Amino acid sequence: MHEVSLVRNVFKTLEDEFEPEEIDRIHTVRMKIGELSNVEPVLMQNAFEAVKMDQPIYKNITLEIDYIPTTVSCHICTATTRIYNYKFICSNCGAPTNNVITGNELLIHQVEFQDQLV
Amino acid sequence: MAVDKSAKAARGTVQCENTTLHLLKANDFVADSIRKEMSEKNILVINMVSSAGSGKTTLLQETGRRLKDELNIKILVGDVETERDADRLRDVGIDALQIATGGICHLEAQMIVQGMEGLDLEGTDVLIIENVGNMVCPASYDLGEDYRVSLIATTEGDDKPKKYPKMFLTSDVMVISKADLLPHLPFSVEAVTNDALEINHQLKVIEVSSLNGDGVDAWSQWIKDKVAEKKEVLVG
Repeated sequence: MHEVSLVRNVFKTLEDEFEPEEIDRIHTVRMKIGELSNVEPVLMQNAFEAVKMDQPIYKNITLEIDYIPTTVSCHICTATTRIYNYKFICSNCGAPTNNVITGNELLIHQVEFQDQLV
Repeated sequence: MAVDKSAKAARGTVQCENTTLHLLKANDFVADSIRKEMSEKNILVINMVSSAGSGKTTLLQETGRRLKDELNIKILVGDVETERDADRLRDVGIDALQIATGGICHLEAQMIVQGMEGLDLEGTDVLIIENVGNMVCPASYDLGEDYRVSLIATTEGDDKPKKYPKMFLTSDVMVISKADLLPHLPFSVEAVTNDALEINHQLKVIEVSSLNGDGVDAWSQWIKDKVAEKKEVLVG
């Protein structure tokens, strides 16, 4: 995809959410990236490093990515199935289903801060 | 878009659950506002996605020729540069507006808002958005559409659904274009249909040839049916 613009979105999202002095104290940003998001974690990491070089105010931030597999919930038998090779079929009852419960994630789910500098 | 800053004291670890920091949140917010506005205006919105060169514009030219006396059609067409596709659509008498993305590989909801401002939507039955030719990024961007339609040309090979699953997972219709070439190509309609239905069992499949006109009536009828359904919802 267009990982550099997504990384810019990460920083924009942090700026919207936190005050500048809080951003200075961020040391880790954890993202959830789903298998269906069309985002490659390795390229996201590379883009993150490239944008950091461009914008030194973020130089102390490390990106950690949790890659989330695709799972669906069957609307007939309610079983949860891990989807492999994009075969959207319930492993319990065999019904076709595309009721995705995980795999679409593209979000920041945790931000870690250093303690307040006195 | 203004976002309220968190009231949480930023110390230690801050959990950001409830997807409040979703990276496509701004796009989805704008897409929802388009959906609401177009519902109020009673206008069907279709987002057409495919690889470059699969025949989106040619199919829309043929669709326009068939439907322009029955339906008020507006088209927004996205490309990285040039007015060419909009010119082609205007040549057959359809009101079309080009969105030049200037290097961006997909359309975003905000570009649709700006495009809509350039069209006279009064009395419009259907707004068709022809996305930038790309099977990856457009899949992730909601444009406020009612239906997403993927085109796959017989010349592209029948392995597209498995290569670009998200596109087919998020589509409502798969149009197989350039069907007139089927006798000359190792393309299996059955294989591509099976692969696509394995990803999304609710996909409707339509075969068309814009060149000889086969299937274009079925495709046009689908649009007319959806326009009628959208108006019924409003009346109901």
